[in-house]
Amino acid sequence: MKKLTAMILALLMTLSLASCSNAGSPGNSKAPENNPPASSGNAGDSTGYQKFDGKIVLWTLAKDLQQFADRYKEETGNEVEVVVFDSADFKTKIMQTLGTKSKDVDVFVGEPQMLPDYYEAGFCADLSALDGEVKSRLVDYTYEAGCDSDGVLRAISYQACPGSVIYRRDLAQEVFGTDDPDEIGKLFASFDKIEETAATLQSKGYTIFGDTGALRWFSISSNPWVKDGEIIVDQDRLDYFDCAVNLYQKKQVANATEWSAPWYASMAGPLPVLDADADVWGMDKDQLMNEAAGGGAGTTQVFSYVMPSWGALIVRDNAEGNKGKFGVCSGVCSFFGGGTFLAVNEFSQNKEAAQQFIEYCTLNDDVAQWWLTASNGDVVANKAVLEANKDFQNESFGNQNTYGFYAQEMEKIDYSLITGYDDACKEAFGTAVMSVQKGETTKEEALKEFYKVVLNTYPELSVPADAPVSVD
Amino acid sequence: MSEKIKTRSAKSLLYLFLILLSALCFTPFVLMLVNATRTGNQIMTGFSLLPGGSLASNWAVVSENMDLGRGFLNSLFLALCNTALVSYFSALTAYGLAFYKFPGAKAIFTVLLIFMMVPSQLSLLGFYNLVNQMGLIDTYWPLILPSIASPATVFFLRQYILSVMPKAILEAPRIDGAGELAVFHRIALPIMAPGIATMAIGAFIGSWNNYLIPMMLINTPSKRPLPVMVAELSAVRDITTNLGATYLVVAISAVPIMIAFCFFSKYIISGISAGSVKE
Repeated sequence: MKKLTAMILALLMTLSLASCSNAGSPGNSKAPENNPPASSGNAGDSTGYQKFDGKIVLWTLAKDLQQFADRYKEETGNEVEVVVFDSADFKTKIMQTLGTKSKDVDVFVGEPQMLPDYYEAGFCADLSALDGEVKSRLVDYTYEAGCDSDGVLRAISYQACPGSVIYRRDLAQEVFGTDDPDEIGKLFASFDKIEETAATLQSKGYTIFGDTGALRWFSISSNPWVKDGEIIVDQDRLDYFDCAVNLYQKKQVANATEWSAPWYASMAGPLPVLDADADVWGMDKDQLMNEAAGGGAGTTQVFSYVMPSWGALIVRDNAEGNKGKFGVCSGVCSFFGGGTFLAVNEFSQNKEAAQQFIEYCTLNDDVAQWWLTASNGDVVANKAVLEANKDFQNESFGNQNTYGFYAQEMEKIDYSLITGYDDACKEAFGTAVMSVQKGETTKEEALKEFYKVVLNTYPELSVPADAPVSVD
Repeated sequence: MSEKIKTRSAKSLLYLFLILLSALCFTPFVLMLVNATRTGNQIMTGFSLLPGGSLASNWAVVSENMDLGRGFLNSLFLALCNTALVSYFSALTAYGLAFYKFPGAKAIFTVLLIFMMVPSQLSLLGFYNLVNQMGLIDTYWPLILPSIASPATVFFLRQYILSVMPKAILEAPRIDGAGELAVFHRIALPIMAPGIATMAIGAFIGSWNNYLIPMMLINTPSKRPLPVMVAELSAVRDITTNLGATYLVVAISAVPIMIAFCFFSKYIISGISAGSVKE
């Protein structure tokens, strides 16, 4: 008996030790915001805002809305209590709390991919009183993402996250004789062009991307992933597939996986040439940079990154000596990624006060202008403010008019190509691409696997008869 | 001679293995402490066993963004309440199940064993709804009271008390006229103390690290225990600026666990070997 007790005891101790590590998970917040506010210069116009009794409670994923709340209180006297939750559990928390029709929260946020679930569950109050304003004054795609399947406005964004190709101006001059965003954009206009560009860069010892994952943003170029209940793999997607495999196998990418040390290091300078099977996660940025210092044989430089506007800020903040040498241009297609949408809790008892706060954050030009400056580079959804800043010369991007560029880019986003299946499809397709480029399987097998994975997640979908491979 | 060499080489092999094992156990802790002194960017982009120089700036981020003292007090309060309730009521139940013969005792014990197998995450949805209907969301009651019923502890203590205390020992106080509760408090409880201490460590650590349930039930930031605050800290700004600060808080929050462990660990060791009657 004693032995048994001792054994159970030992087991329990091991288990409790193992559970010690829970608290340390850092979450995966990729909030685009990155700097505290410099100062709130122009005091906005406070007329037209009502004073409400009591406070409203806001649940969010990142603390940037605290700055809005502070400013709101200053100008209107209304108090907003901002409660921040870890992004990993945020959706669970919202689903759970609002699932019981809780009145504890008045305003809550959501990222585009969370919104359809919120709408369906009936958590978001009808904001159609603001419909006209939002439609005419905010960037189109944010309006469309804010509407539920019946076209009723339920969430509004103060941010916009248009996509871009972030490229090295100095390398562009050297290799292509120009660093003009329009000209460079042409080099990324199609997957064929990208392969050509990659080959030209390779001949000069440069690599086009950190890794082939950069191409995934271009996977929604002409058709949605799912149309009429069928999973679509069109010619563009096959081109994307081939392009990724070719770039990888011809060693035209640096094998510096996104978010790894070599990826960060590549923004600041030359990078040692890495083997395809190198363990990028165990590397050290400083060491890599020292190793490749001065460039020359055995090193390479990454020419471009494909990311939403917040990614451009990451590149800027890690550029070190390369700061100011970057530019942004368009790629195969226009896209967006992320963004913070505000919604009013359907069960809130302060709906009016909550709606006024959302109105303040999203539709007030002064506030949008203040946020653009205070956040040090966030792209706002307010079209008038983007227009007013379109001539702003951004030092960090070779004096390019980045806001003007992003405003144009957002006009080109085709929101009808977005479906709720995109994340799952992109991920499964990316896995398929990865397995073929590494030579683990054939394209046909990988595509079959892709269909299987998506069908497992969404059994209601089907594979069209003209699919590139037949799935049994 | 050769025999000596044999044992020696066997011993050194054993020691080598143990050293390796303890290094394996220690590295994560050392890394946690080292990372607490480095910037988020350094942590994201590399790996080092030498401390960096950003302890002060990490501390600044922590003190600017969270009320560490408050979180500590909240966690400590919850952990102490939980530990006390788990210890006392589980001992009471275990004693009852072990020494009283009543109809259904077996059935109750079986039910206990079954509930041991159900992870608490599974019942989270139902638990949330129950708490909500009782109007106890955003209070500490649902975080403290359920620990009165902890089947795993009852099971362990029942086995423990059966192994360390023969039934005959209860006859003496009964003959002297002690009531049943007095027998439990004055005889059984002290004998069970090592076992209870062992379970108390588990309860304390479990409560200290509990994240999921407080995250779901507590809405007011000032009522949050440490793990939930840590998660919030990592969400406050983008990950690269906060990672160092997050590590710092995690390192600080691990301290009470270590203290609790040091304090109770002699009981664990004696708990395995001690008993009122030597067999």
